Amino acid sequence: MTRRLSRRAFLAGAGSTALAGSALLAGCGGSGGTGAAGAAGAADGGIEATFLPFRGAHQTGIAAPAPAASLMAAFKVLARDKDDLRRVFEDLTDEIEGLMSGRPPVVRDPAYPPSDSGVMGPHPAPDDLSVIVSVGASLFDGRYGLGPKRPRELVTMPFLANDRLDPDRSHGDLLLTVQAGHLETALFALRQLMRRTRSTLVLRWVLDGFSRRSEPGAKTTGSPRNLMGFVDGTANLRADDDAQLDRHVWVGAGDGEPSWAAGGSYQAVRVIRMLVEFWDRTPLAEQEAIMGRDKASGAPLGLQHETDDPDYGSDPDGARIKLDAHIRLANPRTPGTEKSLILRRGFSYARGYDRAGRLDQGLAFVSYQRSLRDGFLAVQARLTGEPLEEYILPEGGGFFFALPGVAEGGRLGAGLV
Amino acid sequence: MLAVFAMLAAAVALLAASCGDDDGADVRNVGTDCASASGSAGGSASGSASGSASGSASGSAGGACASTSTSGSGSGISEEEIEGGKAGSAAVQAAVASYGEQVQRDAADLVRLTTVFTDAVRAGDLGAAKAAYAPSRVPWEKIEPIAGLIPNVDGAVDSRVDDFAGVDDPAFTGWHRLEYLLFEEGTTAGGAKFADKLDADLADLRKELKTLKIPPVAMALGAAELIEEVSEGKITGEEDRYSKTDLWDFDGNVQGARTVVDLLKPALTEADPALYDRIEKGLGELERSLEPLRRGDGFVPFCTENDPYPSPICTGTTVTPDQIDELKAELAGLSEDLALVPGALKLK
Repeated sequence: MTRRLSRRAFLAGAGSTALAGSALLAGCGGSGGTGAAGAAGAADGGIEATFLPFRGAHQTGIAAPAPAASLMAAFKVLARDKDDLRRVFEDLTDEIEGLMSGRPPVVRDPAYPPSDSGVMGPHPAPDDLSVIVSVGASLFDGRYGLGPKRPRELVTMPFLANDRLDPDRSHGDLLLTVQAGHLETALFALRQLMRRTRSTLVLRWVLDGFSRRSEPGAKTTGSPRNLMGFVDGTANLRADDDAQLDRHVWVGAGDGEPSWAAGGSYQAVRVIRMLVEFWDRTPLAEQEAIMGRDKASGAPLGLQHETDDPDYGSDPDGARIKLDAHIRLANPRTPGTEKSLILRRGFSYARGYDRAGRLDQGLAFVSYQRSLRDGFLAVQARLTGEPLEEYILPEGGGFFFALPGVAEGGRLGAGLV
Repeated sequence: MLAVFAMLAAAVALLAASCGDDDGADVRNVGTDCASASGSAGGSASGSASGSASGSASGSAGGACASTSTSGSGSGISEEEIEGGKAGSAAVQAAVASYGEQVQRDAADLVRLTTVFTDAVRAGDLGAAKAAYAPSRVPWEKIEPIAGLIPNVDGAVDSRVDDFAGVDDPAFTGWHRLEYLLFEEGTTAGGAKFADKLDADLADLRKELKTLKIPPVAMALGAAELIEEVSEGKITGEEDRYSKTDLWDFDGNVQGARTVVDLLKPALTEADPALYDRIEKGLGELERSLEPLRRGDGFVPFCTENDPYPSPICTGTTVTPDQIDELKAELAGLSEDLALVPGALKLK
């Protein structure tokens, strides 16, 4: 048995240190598969691919570096009773921990079906895989007697302005959010998880997509661009700022929520179709006025750099950035609205075309927050009626509650069931 | 600067600990190509957390770890599996012998009930032909994986219109061609030639089955395939889209799986009792879920919400979305467990 450090992995690791200057994590340099793996990895996210830890105070995927590939799968839970439901969480815990740590497949007698699909090969390579388990309001109906344990604000996502929700793409008892460096890694994980829970979880809807960072430029940070061509996420909460996350994302022990919920987070999911052909026919000046940003640089209108403060104080009448511009409504940057900061983890999707021959593309908006009322719903209330609505159509999603993290020796859903 | 070096050193240590080199040498500590120490029974053993998985995982230091080749995956029985079918234990051999006799009885039922159907078609009795359609298919659905071992029969008697350019394709014969004629066109006219061919094909099948030596693995995989059949074709309503009699077929598949499971019980309880218990539980749940859908000697028509195959037979929803979800979950769970039977019995 040899434990040689491969030169490729070493170079990849060193490269990311030089480029990112941040935490260097163990990886096998597998993402690129060439001598340029380090540079490629850095362009994707600045850090080499790794096996993310599964256990901790919070589910890791929520605040891990934004992944290039994401997938959501919502399920109806058909556990026969509470014990059966507990087993679902035990199975998910074991399988997710195995997947996130790259546990090799159990090798069985070849008379058995192979224990995994083989998509990742016999030695799964690190790919920043994480799986987030969330529950929907419907799990707290009469079936398992969980009513008293429902997080206070967790309801079935109501009709919101401009919605045209497709019941086949909305809500669910349980949601898996799978994130990784590559889509096949996420799909591999989904198949394993579904195989493990086949008799209790029935698929309701599934959506996958991507979110690619670009090289930082003189005026831009490399934030991903959405399918409208605008940088998205510039003013997002920083996922590495623990104080901010404690304040805006994690449910606290003193929040008046059921005790099991502390350390979890409300998750709002909005599958927002973009009418991309219509958008592409819209004059640039109007696109920029609607968003409030310069399309090329991402800078707030009239300013230089993507991260410049929009300085609404100097523009009280909306001469520079209209009062109903998307970024101004979403985050007015006033002391009174600071409470509505949310952690966004959205991704773009494309799923073919509609009957009118238009591409079916859009944004899976995903946000995590300590309170839906203070977070997503407050933002949504401000955005209602914005000019952007003409170009978008919320078609699905739902409200969920991302479970707290898993302590050593514990499991997902501990305290809940 | 110091911090960067410290991180780099730590990273190198981690890399050394976690990375295989390019030639793929295994660094998973246990010094064997088999399941690593961390690859515990849960591993990726899917629904098989207990029972069989623990068998192979805990026994991994010994001989349970064979090569990494993939194997018959539980769907489809290849020629190779027929050729290479091992005899298995005495309990398995006894089960296969009994199963062979049962298949003969089912084949006799098949011919008898299908003749009732085809006679009605030839007699031009539309009502009687329609009534005899679904019952004639039940014995077929019970033994379909075994019948499938006889070349060409399945395609001739049980193809659906989707397998052809259209209903008028001359190669489109069998039950579903007649189903289209009777239930969609509402006539027996022109049906005699299809009725004759169906009789002839099934007579051939029965003759072939008499001399067929059923490979043990085909029997074991057959149960899994029957349940797979339901998941793929019946629950979607595509099998009997004109007659809406999918539930008869569904029941036939479940009965066929039940026969196999009952006959394999002695062998399976010896090889992997936990697996047998899960299968028995899963099959029982499925049988109970079918109960409320029975009507008279048969079943309610398979009328679902937003039916992709609308029919005047359906005047309302007879199988609710909740019932379908429940059936889906039961079928899927049972499929996972049945797929483990050949492995548990070491049948290759």
